[in-house]
Amino acid sequence: MSRAMSGDRASQSRDRGTPLGSGAVSSRLVVGRNVRKVDGVKLVTGGAAFTDDVQIPGMLHGKILPSPHAHARIRRIDTSKAKALAGVHAVLTYKDVPRVPHTTAGQAWPEPSPYDTYLLDSKVRFVGDRVAAVAAESRAIAERALGLIEVEYEILPAVLDMEQAMAEGVAVIHDEPDSTKIYDREHNIAGYILREIGNVDQGFAECDYIIEREYRTQRQQHCPLEPHVTICWLDADGRLVIRTSTQVPYHCRRQVAMILQIPLSRVHVIKPRIGGGFGGKQEMVLEDICGALALATRRPVKIEFTREEEFYMARSRHPQILRMKMGVKRDGTVIASQLTVLATTGAYGSHSTTVQGNTGSKVLPLYRAPNMRFECHVVYTNTPVAGAFRGYGCPQGFFAQETLVDEIACELGMDPLEFHRHNVIRLGDTDLLSAQLGEGKEGLPRLVRSCGLPQCMETAARAIGWAQKRKKFPNGHSHLRRGVGMACTMQGSGIAGVDWASAFLKMNEDGSFYLQVGASDVGGGADTVLSQIAAETLGVSLDKIVITSGDTDITPFDVGAYASSTTIISGGAVKKAAGKVRAQVLELASKMLDAPVDQLDCGNNEVFTTCVCRKSVSMSDLAMQAMYREKLQIMDGASHFNTDSPAPFCATFAEVEVDTETGQVRVLHLASAVDPGTAINPMQAEGQVEGAVAQGLGYALTEELLLDAAGRPVNPNFLDYKMFAATDMPKLTTILIETDEPLGPYGAKSISEVPINGPAPAIANAIFHAVGVRIRKLPIRPEDVLRALHAERPANLEEEALLTP
Amino acid sequence: MLGSRGVFAMKTMELHLTVNGKSLNWSIAPGELLLDLLRRQGYFGVKRGCEKGECGACAVLLDGKPINSCLMFAAQAEGREILTIEGVADGDKLDPLQEAFLDYGAVQCGFCTSGMVISAKALLLRRPDPSEEEVREALAGHLCRCTGYTKPVEAVLAAASKKKNRARRVKPVAEVAR
Amino acid sequence: MTASQIMFDKVEAFYRPANVRAALRLLQSGKGQARVVAGGTDVVVEGDESVRFLIDITHAGLSYIRRRGTACVIGATTTMAELEASDVIQALAGGLLSRAARSCGSVPIRNMATLGGNMANGSPAADMATPLLVLDAAVVMVDVRGRRKLPLAEYLAGARTSRYARSLLVEVVVPDPPDGKGCRWSFQKLGRTAVDISLVNVAAGLQLDSRGRVKWARIALGSVAPAPMRASGAEQRMTGRILDHSLLAEIGAEVAREVSPISDARASAEYRREICSVLTRRALEECSAPAGCSL
Repeated sequence: MSRAMSGDRASQSRDRGTPLGSGAVSSRLVVGRNVRKVDGVKLVTGGAAFTDDVQIPGMLHGKILPSPHAHARIRRIDTSKAKALAGVHAVLTYKDVPRVPHTTAGQAWPEPSPYDTYLLDSKVRFVGDRVAAVAAESRAIAERALGLIEVEYEILPAVLDMEQAMAEGVAVIHDEPDSTKIYDREHNIAGYILREIGNVDQGFAECDYIIEREYRTQRQQHCPLEPHVTICWLDADGRLVIRTSTQVPYHCRRQVAMILQIPLSRVHVIKPRIGGGFGGKQEMVLEDICGALALATRRPVKIEFTREEEFYMARSRHPQILRMKMGVKRDGTVIASQLTVLATTGAYGSHSTTVQGNTGSKVLPLYRAPNMRFECHVVYTNTPVAGAFRGYGCPQGFFAQETLVDEIACELGMDPLEFHRHNVIRLGDTDLLSAQLGEGKEGLPRLVRSCGLPQCMETAARAIGWAQKRKKFPNGHSHLRRGVGMACTMQGSGIAGVDWASAFLKMNEDGSFYLQVGASDVGGGADTVLSQIAAETLGVSLDKIVITSGDTDITPFDVGAYASSTTIISGGAVKKAAGKVRAQVLELASKMLDAPVDQLDCGNNEVFTTCVCRKSVSMSDLAMQAMYREKLQIMDGASHFNTDSPAPFCATFAEVEVDTETGQVRVLHLASAVDPGTAINPMQAEGQVEGAVAQGLGYALTEELLLDAAGRPVNPNFLDYKMFAATDMPKLTTILIETDEPLGPYGAKSISEVPINGPAPAIANAIFHAVGVRIRKLPIRPEDVLRALHAERPANLEEEALLTP
Repeated sequence: MLGSRGVFAMKTMELHLTVNGKSLNWSIAPGELLLDLLRRQGYFGVKRGCEKGECGACAVLLDGKPINSCLMFAAQAEGREILTIEGVADGDKLDPLQEAFLDYGAVQCGFCTSGMVISAKALLLRRPDPSEEEVREALAGHLCRCTGYTKPVEAVLAAASKKKNRARRVKPVAEVAR
Repeated sequence: MTASQIMFDKVEAFYRPANVRAALRLLQSGKGQARVVAGGTDVVVEGDESVRFLIDITHAGLSYIRRRGTACVIGATTTMAELEASDVIQALAGGLLSRAARSCGSVPIRNMATLGGNMANGSPAADMATPLLVLDAAVVMVDVRGRRKLPLAEYLAGARTSRYARSLLVEVVVPDPPDGKGCRWSFQKLGRTAVDISLVNVAAGLQLDSRGRVKWARIALGSVAPAPMRASGAEQRMTGRILDHSLLAEIGAEVAREVSPISDARASAEYRREICSVLTRRALEECSAPAGCSL
């Protein structure tokens, strides 16, 4: 892989304290500035901030016994020897715990995912599925106890191939009668989606050219540097405390209470600093079983996945087979598009319809075709469970769509950039497909109220040198060939009508404010961004905001960190709550300054009159007055949700160099131009882009969780599951194209997911430009490129280019 | 962890070493790993990411050289000097590397940060004016899922150039579209 | 199903012998439950539950790089980082061993991983084995019967068996390679990312006469056979021939016939075979480029 050249980016000024831009916006004091993360110092000094950074007296170590078989019934399970081992405090099997069907997906109730999972079951459905759990005095004793549990399995035929899962006579993975919301259990179909706008068949009939292609995408794992870890204990009041690495503390509280059959108010979830989530922690993975062990032992219990367990016993991205068909007029106008998807959700249906729903709803509407159809089967297989993963169905869909349009453009002799300019969604457009595809139910139509996509395309194209390089490449005197490729993508910002958040603020006598939010900062800087919004609204400096987040006893509700919702939805709640508190502040200031409220403003930690004779009172003086004279606690809260999901847009351009002798693809330069609305913290926003791009690069070229013929993981470690490291990264150009989104606090949308969608198709397209072969599967390994070069034909199935005259 | 020792009648041994400048005597099990020992002794900044020496989150300096503490037996630290992330700052005064990591947005979730700062510190002690390639090489053993490595590399270069009182290498360019 | 990593909680004692004799004694008395450890990069990862005694040999006087007569001798506990940085090693065979050492994992790994450990682990992908084979290196083993030297290839064939269970690899001996005008060495490695275990690695050396004819050629490959190997058929084919593109193509094809790669999670056998040809050719090209031959 390449050595990077120095990264350059066009973005906000990097100097601390310099406001951005010009005009009204430059009057913002905190929002839009590259402030340091509010939790930065403890992270950079190794402070004890993460879930496992505590020593609790009497804490036991929990471990899960994973199934060695992909599909089996537990005929007999004998835990007596394990229980007898000195140091073992509890061994649980399905006989010891309540049987409550549920989903582990961290989604708002009622969750759209099937209720097909059990705390412990008498059937196992993938290699790694829970068989039993132990709690013991040490990790070593716990491991040994696992080995002493005697299990007799009735091995059942395993369904590993998603293309076989629906066939007649194939083993039924969820034959239990008490599971619900499964679309067709007899045929292993967890979910099915069919949506259409316009009339696709008629649309195709009107087209001059139609191309249909098939694409395949792989199982990618989140690889958070901090594996899943949970510690549970009973506090002095006998309440179950769950200290856990999660993106969804509230969903977790609700689900654990339901599964363990204890009142919700008797569960307290604490989210400390999290070492990355990326969707893998938008899930209840360990909390229920850990809680069960804590209840059984009346001792604190910690379960921490090893890296190996994290790979196949946690979650991963849904593998998909996508068949995409698009029809255009001679001038390149897209008239009809159709996407048919077969996906597997693994052994359980967590996020099964919603991820795949996104593959249709966020992908197809990028083009202004009046006719669109999306059909999808999501099947069970006896494989590791798929779940939420940054992009949430979009990386798969955009790989298909953006490589297909590149193929169409090339067939038409049209510059792909021109094709995009001609066809992509515009400011003022309405996306009707989203109205049909919400979170498992009818959604809401999307209106594009802000759109920087045109400028994203132009700036990223310029950064990569598109015009010159499209003409100049491929060239090369040696075995090395260069090429450039592009992709446009979009996402959402929060789930319309479903995601919601709340915030609470109270003032302290020194003029500072405690901000309490349910929002989960999982590393991306949410705490900082939300503090910036609060500070801006209240007219105080950032250090006057002290934030507590993600503690279900202290902070008000928030659905959690997913769907790119935190800045726009949690931020919206913060802005509302801060606005209400600001009103209380102004009311008191009005008394103190003897001036009407409409002649007052807040800024620089004081309230001041806007008229000629300037009077002011500091926030701290005002607070003292409130608390000790007025006997008033200035405080308020607010809830917030949106009925739309404004799309952030991204244009990704890649330059690659292909070694035609080894098939290796070196990405030389990758430029991402993103429209996030307003960037509340441009530096953090860039960081999100760069991190998403790195994951996208791995998705494109190196990452795949492999299973053998028995469904066992082959490469559950960092040696053989290859993530990009610092020496693999190309030169990155990151451009923020800011727009002003009416639905977002200070104009913000989101940025955390969209940049992951572009690298795979941009690279695939660049490879085609360089060496004339189309690879339609991911990851694109050197072997795949070499094979395609030898065959001089695409690396997968038969082509069907229907060129109608 | 060690837990109740009576269970296996484990032998313990005495380890003498220096950690962050402090001379210490610790009781350890013969097969204990350095990572486990350090975390057990409260050095939570040393992280457990993979236990196979592949991610670098557990890195500490051993006699000035970065190593993966998950691959070393604690007993092998006998008589050696260890620097963990907790020893990088001088009391409340952050190391220029730590300041740079904060100023350049190089810290997101922070889980890989300890290891990166440790390796970067060793690099700058050995090569006060590294090239970008040398910085990437030094950080190649530290997997990060959040940053894409861009800002950590910039931060290390900035810390190096600051020491030389030179202008920042990375020139910012503002681009805002309305 | 891969085994979970179990901590070494059954280890009863940890020893750090001050010399080789003491280390051997401990190894004998361990009755098969003793394990020698140096850098830990293999021992810890393996997590062998049967280990009861650990013998740390990093203080047994085996960290050295020096010249002895017409050879360079390297102590078994010399680290990859030390090899990379050593002036003596950099001067040897155009820095072939330094370059290979530099490719052995990341900086923290190279600070711990030792040459002896790399050999003793016996992996077919051992990055140091390939250049050492091409330099006709030997290893020195010590056991109760005494000290003996054996060719590296012979050692590697038995490294993963119990043949050397009660012996200690103490030294690697690299005889002075041929030198002189027109003599060059090359190391090529292909991985999936910049820091990776080799999918294929090649070490080569050759010397051309003033007319561009091959006086001698050596080619070793790793990760393409049960153990790192010399492509002796290809080497012989090259002697006396003019080094041109058609010879390189022929040698590439010959090497592809001599290797026996496997398919695994990292690459298919077919791909590895093809890469052997490519890397061999590139290694030989790199060897001949400064010599200004007719390529």
